[in-house]
Amino acid sequence: MIVSRIAIAAVLALGLSHAAQAKDWKKIVIATEGAFPPYNMTMPDGKLAGFEIDMAKDLCARMKLECTVVAQDWDGIIPGLNAGKFDAIIAGMSITPKRMEVISFSTPYTASPTTFEVPKSMADLPLTGERINLSDKEAAAAAIAKLGAALKGKIIGAQVSTIQADFLKTYLSPFAEIRTYPTNEEQDLDLQAGRIDMAFASSSYLVSTLAKPGGDRVKMSGPFITGGSMGAGSGVGLRKTDPELKDMFDAAIKASIADGTISKLSLQWFKLDIAVKN
Amino acid sequence: MSSYFTLIGFGPTGWGWQLVAATLMTLAVSAAAFVTGAVFGVLGAWAKLSGGRAVRGAADAYTTVLRGIPDLLVIYLFYFGGSALMTSIGKMMGSQGFLGLNGFLVGMLAIGTVSGAYQTEVMRAAFLAIPRGEIEAARAVGMGRALMLRRIIAPRALRFALPGLGNVWQQVLKESALISVTGMLELVRQIHLAAGSSRLPFDFYATGAALFLLLTTLTGLLFRGAEQRTQRHERQG
Repeated sequence: MIVSRIAIAAVLALGLSHAAQAKDWKKIVIATEGAFPPYNMTMPDGKLAGFEIDMAKDLCARMKLECTVVAQDWDGIIPGLNAGKFDAIIAGMSITPKRMEVISFSTPYTASPTTFEVPKSMADLPLTGERINLSDKEAAAAAIAKLGAALKGKIIGAQVSTIQADFLKTYLSPFAEIRTYPTNEEQDLDLQAGRIDMAFASSSYLVSTLAKPGGDRVKMSGPFITGGSMGAGSGVGLRKTDPELKDMFDAAIKASIADGTISKLSLQWFKLDIAVKN
Repeated sequence: MSSYFTLIGFGPTGWGWQLVAATLMTLAVSAAAFVTGAVFGVLGAWAKLSGGRAVRGAADAYTTVLRGIPDLLVIYLFYFGGSALMTSIGKMMGSQGFLGLNGFLVGMLAIGTVSGAYQTEVMRAAFLAIPRGEIEAARAVGMGRALMLRRIIAPRALRFALPGLGNVWQQVLKESALISVTGMLELVRQIHLAAGSSRLPFDFYATGAALFLLLTTLTGLLFRGAEQRTQRHERQG
């Protein structure tokens, strides 16, 4: 089997690869990273799996498109889209203004809310389990005042130059001390070591932390924060020159959110519903 | 420890076959790039040694530029620039849609072009290391140019070039890791996928390092054997 795979690769190497046909969309190639569980990952047998692989299958069925999902290195994924190596990116890619300068995005399908990670022994923070949308200014201000009072004098860790660190600096720095780390993993180690009282991170990341060794000593606490400066969530990355494909993805994502398919897949892979709610 | 061997083993939950396939792919793309580089190297060395002013200038520009820019840039240029160029040529010829080179071909050409620049210098120095007297002696006994190349210049130059070529080979083997940016499933890309998907980065990156070390060591032994073989007459004499 391995020999035949190498033989196929060698034969392909001699010829030119030919990706999607332009404009008359019947077949598309979708790129994912393949190393970002549970969004997308590679199984030991080499096949792709994960939340986004299942979601892509659902979206393609809705759009009546024949889709091939390929794994592509994260570093080359946006240039690859614009060079035409594939037609769409579904790789847990957050919609940011900087990326919008070079590619376009579908409407978001997931928005992983941000919340706190605290030692299991600690009493729960106020508003635990509630959803706060920062776009709703009044409710957000009331919630932040409540949180601020509870966090007085605490030390909170977050990954540097993330939406989470920005939020802490903007809203909670008058109450608590903020420490930033190069990666989420380092912040977790300091939480375990007791150097910080709590961490502030994306809930999809925290779910995976809880599943890791040592994860049984921490828990999620406090409100699930979304909207506003917390970003628009993850969307399908598309070329700016393909507005008709964007329309197709937008319609399919909206339908899939409306009938609960994306929520169902999210619960299955993340143990948490991070589907975009309107 | 036993869970580690399950992880990299050949069972249903083991990554063994994927790792073997990726290791062979690394070896294949490196060998293809090295051979491509050898062709460029011979041409470049010939151009530098016996070409006219224009040819020599072109060869100088080639070795200066390709040794002076990062290899990753060369790969991006071939992979993304190459497909943009080919697609626009394709459009002119009336074909619709996207044309491009695949990762293997890009890796072979990009790494081969860079290694060719190094091999040019290795081969040029090896030719210059041949004692002039031997070439004069060959001329004196009336050897033609082709016979002289086959009997005297090529074997003598190879003997001087082998240690340098061995270094270039190791460099090619390690640079093949850069081709992972094209998404081609070679060793580094496979290790990265496995590390990310299993959340066991240390196990897999360490395994990847060991596999690379295995490749460099085994092929290093081959080069050493070849060096000893080309020197066997000298030890006797």
